[in-house]
Amino acid sequence: MITNYIEHHLPNGIRLFFMPTDKFKTISIALFIHQELNSKLAAMSALLPAVLEQGSRQYPDKLILQRKLENLYGADLTADIIKSGERHIMTFGCETAHDKYLGEGKALVKEGLSVLGSVSGDPLLENGSFKKEYVEQEKKQLIKDIKAMLNDKATYAYERCIALMCSEERFGTYKLGSIEDYNNINEESLYQYYNHVFSANPIDLYVIGDLKEKEVLDATGEAFSLSRLKEQNRLPLTDTKKTVQEVRYYEEALPVNQAKIVLGLRTYTAYGDDLYCPLLLYSGILGGFPHSKLFMKVREEAGLAYYVHSRLEKHKGLMIIAAGINYEDYDNAREIIERQLEDMAAGNISDEELDNTRQGLINRLRSQQDSPIQLIISHLDGSIGGKTYTAAELIKGIETVGKQEIQEAAERVKLDTVYVLRPQEGGSIK
Amino acid sequence: MRENLKLIENRELHETLYHYQFHPGLDLYVLPRTGYQKKYAVFSTRFGSIDNRFRVEPHPEVTELPDGVAHFLEHKLFEDERGNVFDRFAALGASANAFTSFTQTSYLFSCTASFEQNFDLLLNFVQEPYFTDKTVQKEQGIIGQEIKMYEDHPHWRVFFNLLAGLYQMHPVRNDIAGTIESINKISPELLYRCYHTFYHPSNMAVFVVGNLDPEEVGRQVEKNLLGRDYSPMGQIVRQFPDEPFEINQQKTVQELVVSEPIMFIGLKDNIVAKLESRQKMRREILMELVLDILFGSSEKLYNELYRDNLIDENFGAEYTNEINYGYAMIGGETRDPDQLYSRIMEAIENVKKEGITKEQFERHRRKILGGYIRRFNSLEFIANNYLAYRFRDNEMFELPSVLQDITIEEAMAVAEENFDPAYHVISLIVPSPEE
Repeated sequence: MITNYIEHHLPNGIRLFFMPTDKFKTISIALFIHQELNSKLAAMSALLPAVLEQGSRQYPDKLILQRKLENLYGADLTADIIKSGERHIMTFGCETAHDKYLGEGKALVKEGLSVLGSVSGDPLLENGSFKKEYVEQEKKQLIKDIKAMLNDKATYAYERCIALMCSEERFGTYKLGSIEDYNNINEESLYQYYNHVFSANPIDLYVIGDLKEKEVLDATGEAFSLSRLKEQNRLPLTDTKKTVQEVRYYEEALPVNQAKIVLGLRTYTAYGDDLYCPLLLYSGILGGFPHSKLFMKVREEAGLAYYVHSRLEKHKGLMIIAAGINYEDYDNAREIIERQLEDMAAGNISDEELDNTRQGLINRLRSQQDSPIQLIISHLDGSIGGKTYTAAELIKGIETVGKQEIQEAAERVKLDTVYVLRPQEGGSIK
Repeated sequence: MRENLKLIENRELHETLYHYQFHPGLDLYVLPRTGYQKKYAVFSTRFGSIDNRFRVEPHPEVTELPDGVAHFLEHKLFEDERGNVFDRFAALGASANAFTSFTQTSYLFSCTASFEQNFDLLLNFVQEPYFTDKTVQKEQGIIGQEIKMYEDHPHWRVFFNLLAGLYQMHPVRNDIAGTIESINKISPELLYRCYHTFYHPSNMAVFVVGNLDPEEVGRQVEKNLLGRDYSPMGQIVRQFPDEPFEINQQKTVQELVVSEPIMFIGLKDNIVAKLESRQKMRREILMELVLDILFGSSEKLYNELYRDNLIDENFGAEYTNEINYGYAMIGGETRDPDQLYSRIMEAIENVKKEGITKEQFERHRRKILGGYIRRFNSLEFIANNYLAYRFRDNEMFELPSVLQDITIEEAMAVAEENFDPAYHVISLIVPSPEE
């Protein structure tokens, strides 16, 4: 049983996707403002939701706003920035418990939409621009967040590999931008940017819950009434074509206990591509599951790692392999990993590996139907990738892919960059 | 089967839970959830990292374990003479996993097809141990990497340093996975001894949730147990050292590769060991409420600290209690640990003088209630947490009604009695000088 979205356009061009369903105990609302990922705009795009979340005209500071949310039975308001492919998406979310569990005639959806509409569309202004105090405060917080990337070593190694590998591409931009960019932003320039983006860029609104279509339409129309341009900005698609000249190797030493190895590969297969389903199987067989080649060979047979896996960046067409190992085992681990890549390219896939991975991927897709946020994100992928798949279409695709197509996807894959984070003591190996 | 069935109704959440009990003492809970594609099952034992000294009635001899055995056993149960159990779940389209905490070990899977076969596989592999010298040795390498990974993890370290500061004797002060040295002492014999004690059905429980018929699930478990010929086991007597009220070490500082200091204050709850289980649950709710009033994002302190750039959005406070220990921890990343420390301690003193208002109490109570309801979207949340409450002899479905029942006077009393600065510690991570 897979429910589908009812699609509407609000009078100002915002696209509304509403899914009526009584299976959740919540009402989930999410707003996405699309922007292209690019190093010049990244800091502004990251800063905007953070500043708006500090307060709106109706709820001018966090204290008032949070108290309002608590009185809505702890409605959870979020403001964030997402990097997906070469898209940079400002996002606001609000999740509330459904009224029917609270035993009173509440109208939480209306209230939730109203708060979200206020925070995103009716900001607090001072002398015709954003409140200076909030802008300066959030600049500091974001600079701190950029530095804090270092704290989780696996994330840090992943981000370093991406930045090095894609240094000449838009995708190499970190989702919070760079520290220097924040110095050039002030309350006026940010407010100008806000007006521009909110009036001209594509905006998607999602509502999921046990609700009537009319009540959702009325409430969204009222809450998101900001005026917008007729002609919307067209955002560029993600570039997935960059060629690999030679494999680049980077090593960095820090006072840590465990070495992290990250391999960045280009698959030349993007979300909308015919070989997308074969690619899902390819990465799944290689390193997406505990039954996959990487886990079996590197961890279960050689005992070299606790975690080792491959993950796709589906819109950019990248595959990232990551493992945490003893630095002395680097040569051994890399050799085993590369042997698995060669095996995949040579089509050495057993029926069991193929079948298990097929089922594992289908299980994941079906499970997504049980989570409001995953229902929203998987649909949003269609807007980002320029092609919409229903869950049923993806499942059918995965069911019918054969080894030959997987090998075809495998043959396209090229190793681009190797990044190693290693403990400070001990010499370099390259 | 009817005679051992009990229904647990929850009107607030619109849920009905089916509870079965089977010879020789296994509890099964089934929560039907229509509309969901996913089915989720967890099989848990009351064996965690703190259970490191025990005997079994009527035998007098005491077994003492090196640190990390419960977690090691969890890893090793996934392997038998036919190989890796993950593979068999994969062949049935399920996603399997396991985790070990201070007080329990849990094995789980989720699937959207072939539930019966997957459920049988879960029941079987957990009940069929296979440990050899060779497989134990290989696992020492893998878990060694897991330990090293956590050694580099600042939020993990700040937490365990805090516990080691609070407790002088209690085994909660030790890492769940143990140390490289302690896991090298683990042998197949030791694993078998622990297995035959803690993996007896009377020490275990199963929780299943999804679009399922409880009667069918019940029959499947009954059938699975029938052929296994369990005999009743004597009671497990867990031995814990006497933990003094006093803390172990007031301040712990560790250098790690971090962008700025991370500081947590820990408060030792010395009352909890004396409370019966229902009182513990009530206390947990009261503490959650009081901590949210003191440190939550809708209150003055949080907003002042945020404005002064002393905290970020991840700043927070939480309270935990278990069978014989309990603590609150408050903190996060901060540029100035000393200043943050004195502002938090000030707030703790202030609440005793100024009290809390009726408006605060009701508002935070509403927030917590909404949070309970929202979390009931997640099958994993329900199953994992239900058994954790069960193992403490509590009924998780009573959370909303206990929350409705507590009074502002109780909350005030908790605020006054429980934040005794004599029993608090600081755990601090500071950036390595190399950085």
